[in-house]
Order: sequence, then structure tokens, then C-alpha cells
Amino acid sequence: MLSSPPTPVPSKQLPRIVLSRKIHNFFLPSLDARLVRRILITGLSCYLLFSYILIPMRIQGHSMEPTYRDGSFAFCWRPSYLFRDIHYSDIVTVRLSGKSTMLLKRVIAVAGDTIEFREGILFRNGKEVSEPYVKYRMPWNLEARTVATDHVYVVGDNRGTPMSRHRFGQVKRNRIMGGVIP
Amino acid sequence: MKKTVIAVLILAAAAAIFVLLPGDEKKIRSNLDSLAGYLSTTETDKSLATLQKVSKAGKLCSDPCAVQFQSFNIDRNFDRKELTDHILMMKKMLPGTRFSFHDTSMNFPKEDRADITTTLRLTGKIESDQFTDAYEFAIIAEKIEGKWLFSSFTVVEFMEQ
Repeated sequence: MLSSPPTPVPSKQLPRIVLSRKIHNFFLPSLDARLVRRILITGLSCYLLFSYILIPMRIQGHSMEPTYRDGSFAFCWRPSYLFRDIHYSDIVTVRLSGKSTMLLKRVIAVAGDTIEFREGILFRNGKEVSEPYVKYRMPWNLEARTVATDHVYVVGDNRGTPMSRHRFGQVKRNRIMGGVIP
Repeated sequence: MKKTVIAVLILAAAAAIFVLLPGDEKKIRSNLDSLAGYLSTTETDKSLATLQKVSKAGKLCSDPCAVQFQSFNIDRNFDRKELTDHILMMKKMLPGTRFSFHDTSMNFPKEDRADITTTLRLTGKIESDQFTDAYEFAIIAEKIEGKWLFSSFTVVEFMEQ
């Protein structure tokens, strides 16, 4: 067996060599069991995170303009209402039969509230509500109605379409999937 | 080592059988996809092709077929001719519209009946304006003479003004 004495490295160069090795190992790691385990754990974590907790959404449609524009991107944050109630003006996602298609709406009333629209102005419990997020407004008229127990009343920010062409109303609380980020 | 290889082969064979064998659920899902394809329109669709698609869509449904859509005051049975006429009319009203079903789940209360919950998504253009819409559907499929046919469509009205 032949062996040669190790080439001496000047002590000043040592940190640079260690650093370059670390960088090399970070970007080009050797394919070993540890790396495979890391990849699997990272993949599984990403799958769970982006499938069940922070669901990416591409916004299609104009019902939430100008707050959310057609083609923009956002996330549904599922844990939003785990520890707190839904508040007025919250933007929420409403599920249909699953989570791949959801409606994005703003909460304007909760269970027990009475709401109505007069010439496009929202009245909650008989008082006019200021809605600075509404930029387009048509003269909607909707008679007063009370939100049922375990329901919330949702509507889009874009009120510039006729009322008959806008989907809004009270939905069951269990249809609310979560809040929206950003 | 041999045992491991045999176990892997058995698992692969089981997976292949599971994937390739046409179960009832797979057949119904495939019918839903076909229905979506037949309902979809392109602006370049020829009249004959449209008629063929409409006829194929009709054949996926039972005769009569129940349709319930409260918002439009529709709640009755449609015979095959009526149903295909309505589909044709809808296709003319919505040129260049793609229909697709998502988040489909089903259960089988009886051997020859499936209760399906799904979301129908429509994307297309009306007068150069892009539009998107989605409706939740409760559909009943029944096995009639060995074929799974859709016998009832109900639009789930989960938002009440």
C-alpha cells in the first residue's frame, strides 16, 4: 500500500476551503440515504402545506374587483378561523363541492344581523355601512333580511354589475374554507 | 432479496389491476368527462359535429331525465328530445365555452345507483369578455341495462339572497 504525505494547507486558506465545500455540498449533494430522506420529507411537507393549509389560488372572474383582479394570485389560509370568529369585512373563500374551485367573497354580515341595500348602499342593522373597498357601484335594492343562525352573508366588492348577475347571499358557516393571503 | 422482488412484483400487479380494471366509479367519472366534452363548444364547431355531440350528450342521460335549477324555476323531467334541444340552445348561446367537472365524489346507496356531488366549471368568452362560472351539482346516475346513465341533475343552491 502506497501512501503520500498530505499536502500542507496554509492555515489562512482553511475557512475558504470549508466554505466552498459547504456551498458545493449544498448545491450538488451526494445522492445518499440522507438526501433521499430529506427530499421525501420536504416533498411531503410541501404537499401537505399547499394542499390542506395554504392553498394557492388563481383568481378568475371580476366579482372581487378592484381588490382582487382577474388573473391575480392569492392563497387560502385554512387556519384563519380556527381560533377566532369571522369578522365584518373579512375576505373569505367559499367552497363548492371541494377545494379546487372556490368563490372569493367579502363578509358583510354574520348570524342575527339584518342587511339591506338601498340604491347600492349597504345597511346593516338599520345603519349605513361605509365600504371604502367598493369602487364600482350600481343602485342595488334588496329588502331587509336577517342572516340565519350558523350562516354568514357574503358579497363581492364589484357592485358595478346588475344585482341579478352577481352571486351573493348567505352561506353556511361550514362552507367557509378560510381567509385569504395577501 | 428474491422475496423483496416478488413482493414488489405482486404490489405492482395489484396496482396495475386497480388502475386498469374499469370499476363503476371509473365508468361514471369517464361518463362525466365525456359529458363535459360534448357540452363544450369551440367557435369553429361545424353544425354537424355539434349535432353529433349533442346527441352523444343526450345518450349519456336517461329518458326522461330530471333537472332541478331553482334560480331559473326549473324542476321537472325532460325527455331525450327536449333535453337535447335545450343543450343545443345552450351551445348556441355559449360559443367557445369549456365545461369541466371538478371535485367529484360519489357514493353508492344501491348497487345500481350512484349519488354524485361535483362542481361544474364554465370558462369562455361572451362578446370578447372572458367569463368564469361554477356551480355545484348533485347528480344521480343509474345503471340501466348495464349502462350508467345520468338520471337527475340538481344545482345545489348554497348561497341564498
